[in-house]
Amino acid sequence: MGADLILLTILALPLLGALINGTLGKNMPKVIVGSIATGVMFTAFGLALTLFGSVHKQQLVHLFSMISMDGFELNARLQLDSLSIWMTLIVTGVGSLIHLFSMGYMSHDKGYYKFFTYLNLFIFAMLILVLGSNYFMLFFGWEGVGICSYLLISFHYSDAQKGIANSVAARKAFIMNRIGDLGLLIGLFLILSQFGTLEYSELADKLFIDKIEPSTWMMFGITACLFIGATGKSAQIPLFTWLPDAMAGPTPVSALIHAATMVTAGIFLVVRSNFFFELAPTTQDIMLYVGLATSMVAAFMALRQNDIKKVLAYSTVSQLGLLFVALGMGAYTAAMFHVTTHAFFKALLFLGSGSVIHAMSDEQDIRVMGGLKKYIPITHITFLIGTLAIAGFPLLSGFYSKDEILAHAVMHNPLIYGLLMVSVAMTAIYMFRLYFLVFHGNFRGTSEQQHHLHESPLNMTLPLMILAVLSVFGGILNLPGVVMNSGTHWMSHYLEHNTRGLELIKTHHLSSSQSMMLMGAAVVMTLVILFVSFVVYVKNARLAKSDEELKGWELASNKKLYFDEVYNFLFVKPLEWMSVKIHAFVEVLALNKSVYGFAGLIGKTGDIVRKWQTGVVSNYLFWMVLGVISLVVYYLIKF
Amino acid sequence: MELFAIPLVFALIALVAPKSKVNYVGLIGAVVSMVVSFIHVANFSPDQYVSVFAPDFILTFGLTFKMGYDGIGLFMVVLTNVVTTLILLSNLNREIAHNRAFNALVMLMQFGLLGVFTAADGIMFYIFWELTLVPIFLISYWFGSADRKKPLMKFFIYTFVGSLAMLLSLMALGTYSRSFAYEDLLAAQLTAKTAFWVMAGFFLAFAIKIPLFPFHTWQPDTYTVSPMAGTMLLSALMLKMALYGMVRWMIPIAPEAMDALSCMVITLGMIGVVYAAVIAIKQSDIKRLFAFASISHVGLIAAGIMLFNKDALAGAFIQIANHSLVALGLFLAADILERRMGTRNIYDMGGVAKLAPKFGFWFAAVAFASVSVPLTSGFIGEFLLIKGLYNYSWIVGLVAGTTLVLGAVYTLRAYQISMFGAPKMEAFSDLTWNEMLTFFIIMLIILVVGIYPQAIIDFVGPSLDLTIESVKGSKVIVQ
Repeated sequence: MGADLILLTILALPLLGALINGTLGKNMPKVIVGSIATGVMFTAFGLALTLFGSVHKQQLVHLFSMISMDGFELNARLQLDSLSIWMTLIVTGVGSLIHLFSMGYMSHDKGYYKFFTYLNLFIFAMLILVLGSNYFMLFFGWEGVGICSYLLISFHYSDAQKGIANSVAARKAFIMNRIGDLGLLIGLFLILSQFGTLEYSELADKLFIDKIEPSTWMMFGITACLFIGATGKSAQIPLFTWLPDAMAGPTPVSALIHAATMVTAGIFLVVRSNFFFELAPTTQDIMLYVGLATSMVAAFMALRQNDIKKVLAYSTVSQLGLLFVALGMGAYTAAMFHVTTHAFFKALLFLGSGSVIHAMSDEQDIRVMGGLKKYIPITHITFLIGTLAIAGFPLLSGFYSKDEILAHAVMHNPLIYGLLMVSVAMTAIYMFRLYFLVFHGNFRGTSEQQHHLHESPLNMTLPLMILAVLSVFGGILNLPGVVMNSGTHWMSHYLEHNTRGLELIKTHHLSSSQSMMLMGAAVVMTLVILFVSFVVYVKNARLAKSDEELKGWELASNKKLYFDEVYNFLFVKPLEWMSVKIHAFVEVLALNKSVYGFAGLIGKTGDIVRKWQTGVVSNYLFWMVLGVISLVVYYLIKF
Repeated sequence: MELFAIPLVFALIALVAPKSKVNYVGLIGAVVSMVVSFIHVANFSPDQYVSVFAPDFILTFGLTFKMGYDGIGLFMVVLTNVVTTLILLSNLNREIAHNRAFNALVMLMQFGLLGVFTAADGIMFYIFWELTLVPIFLISYWFGSADRKKPLMKFFIYTFVGSLAMLLSLMALGTYSRSFAYEDLLAAQLTAKTAFWVMAGFFLAFAIKIPLFPFHTWQPDTYTVSPMAGTMLLSALMLKMALYGMVRWMIPIAPEAMDALSCMVITLGMIGVVYAAVIAIKQSDIKRLFAFASISHVGLIAAGIMLFNKDALAGAFIQIANHSLVALGLFLAADILERRMGTRNIYDMGGVAKLAPKFGFWFAAVAFASVSVPLTSGFIGEFLLIKGLYNYSWIVGLVAGTTLVLGAVYTLRAYQISMFGAPKMEAFSDLTWNEMLTFFIIMLIILVVGIYPQAIIDFVGPSLDLTIESVKGSKVIVQ
């Protein structure tokens, strides 16, 4: 099979799975439904692996031309290069494991076939997003994953208690994303009007070979619009509040869509568009500061959340912020590296939390957990690995990928490095808090819950174990020179040749001693936080406070700095108010009443005119004569 | 000629058919018409003009009776026949479909619409335009809800005033022309001032029918009190006459007035897009909500047409088809909810998706099509339209773009409140076969066009090129 055929198969498989399960799944046994959905994923992943080594230069697979007009052409076309195949591997690889996990997690759910249909459909849309060769295809995938996200967040829409809340969360996610999408769409129009094409390779050619130099404003406009799109999908300030609410979806959905893949689409978009961003330093700076602010704000919010999934959700927002900081500094490979390791350990943490929730009979509040390590040992160990990885514990994957970004930050601006370290410290604090409160101490739930505590079946724990291994060793993908004496960043080289823009990457040039010092600082910080957390939550057995006890900064963190309330006050309420008032005053009063008033006026005129029609001939004659005389007089005066 | 004969013949058959079978008479008539129009498509090449009727004589006041179609005309003919079929299909099992007059009136409506889309003579266009008012008015009047009289009166007066303005414009135009034949009207040389009034007359007629802000106030009331078939005919077909009329008549015959009017029409279109969408957000009557949504969507099409470049016009025609199909789907869904729950208030509904999963799925599919997500024809249509408006002025493009966000707000809100949550009633009977088939065909066309829009662009493209050229002042005659 040629590479193009393999690529098409990878794309077609999840669609096929969705079609089979969507049409026939209702009447098939759950085992078969789940096996089909999971099977296509593993096959797609295997096929993607075969392409991994053979992408030294980019290859285009033209499918058909969707719109071909005089000025422009929009194609359904795929692009095979190291970046697209890298993303494909993450999507299908982590996706396969999450599908496998879902077979166990969703086994009691009535909508089993629907769940897997949506999940496969999501993978299809995500693959379109990463494999497309132009922004038009990207937009198709971009909105496609948004729809799947909507369907999966609102999956339990008829639930007696949470049904409404779930569907409201889904709607919020879709609408906030749509705001970002509008920005992206305008970015597309800008690109189209300036360059006449949306193909990545043609755009890069025009910029780097034909040396077209658009105005600084144009480049700023294009990149700013693309970045607005990215803030929606990747949950950055100001469009981030949908992501924590999106946790209403089943936990595997949170792992797949709202942690490992979809939310990194914004990162992918910027990396893909590096040829634009490199020419727009202003946008890069904006991106850096927005990312930094998001990273810190979200980490702060995570400190006092008590819902296990909410903690992880804010953690995701915070990590995405970190990624945008990297992108703002032009550290594309570092960002992709962290996207990869983050996909491993965040998927692991979410699936682990799913296993915890499963064991706790659908309880998500960490205040009623505790001491779970002896009941669910595999989940405990893997969750611990995930926690250490995200906290930046030495030698685990998160340590290396975070270190890369921090190293770039030192070179860029020490202040940013300092603030990032604060964010990193908060990450360690809330993660260890979460870990100790869930797995250590005494069990605080009901005795019924305690009675039901059980380790998850193998199809759930196996993905946990695989992801744990990846979270430990994922750092190997891009070991920094200081660790390996050969001194090469393997991943940088792999991604380097896929687009021209990436050659512009400013690799950081820290000496080994500087590197070692940075790492040392991070290690010491993490270990100190680990120790303090252990003392606080295990030795002193401090518990999370109830809602009433919270005050000061803890309350602010718990209430998410009142972002939702402020948005409600600033945007939602005024819009609803306008809707009601415009209808009442403009539509009903001004337009309708005036029309009826006008009709009434005509009616009145009719009444008056009718009085003239007396039916008496002499009256008519009188008016006629008067008219003739008037005319005669008029003409006499005129001449 | 058979295009016109079939609806009339079936209208006559419907008048004498037994009541139990008359629903099938109407449906078969529509299907036959549709198949015949497909045959016309098969024998048609897009750069062709096919004359349907062209007698040698001209009446003294200039009436030529000419009828015929090019790519745009045939596109609208096919749309009319497909939509009529879908309307009768979705109504097949309802009481209304067993009424003889109803079937005859729908066929008559179809006849009138076909005339509008193939008229190549100003007077013929006017006659058919007026003809369509009779069946739609009677359908709404005879079969509408109890409170129908006042809104229908308003509807009638509004459209009648518009029609009169158009007639005046035509008469004025006729004095500059040898006859009312389309090519003669095109060739008429107007001063800028005359052209302005001629175009303004046409515009008033079309703006009322579309309807554009602020000529729209008849629309929500009329849509709400009409029976489902009436609402469908109004939204899916009747307003398309006006959009088609803008492209075929209003702009080409008085292009001299474009500069003066285009800015105003685009502004009104944009106001309508935002205004109606904002109102739709807090509507609780589901039919009214979709009526306002319709105003919002068509405002965008009208504004795009005024740009009169090929991208925007191609987008406009794709969006014309898309809006027809989406409107059918949404009003069908609204009617299903109203009939089975006895209310139009979405706050009295809820949890329907759990009780009627098939309905839940198809309603969701149409709702997403209405939100113009990629892979649907709505996305392609809006992409081309907004792109065109964006190139016209970035502010206009941005305002037009808000339809993406606001559309999602009101559509998903309506869907969520009516369909999600815990069920508020015991049972809700799921879709019947004909309702399901209607939804299926609607979504099939929407997806095919959304994935391969080039088919439509190629079909209407050559006619659009000719029309655009004629407007550019070169006076190339479309035929």
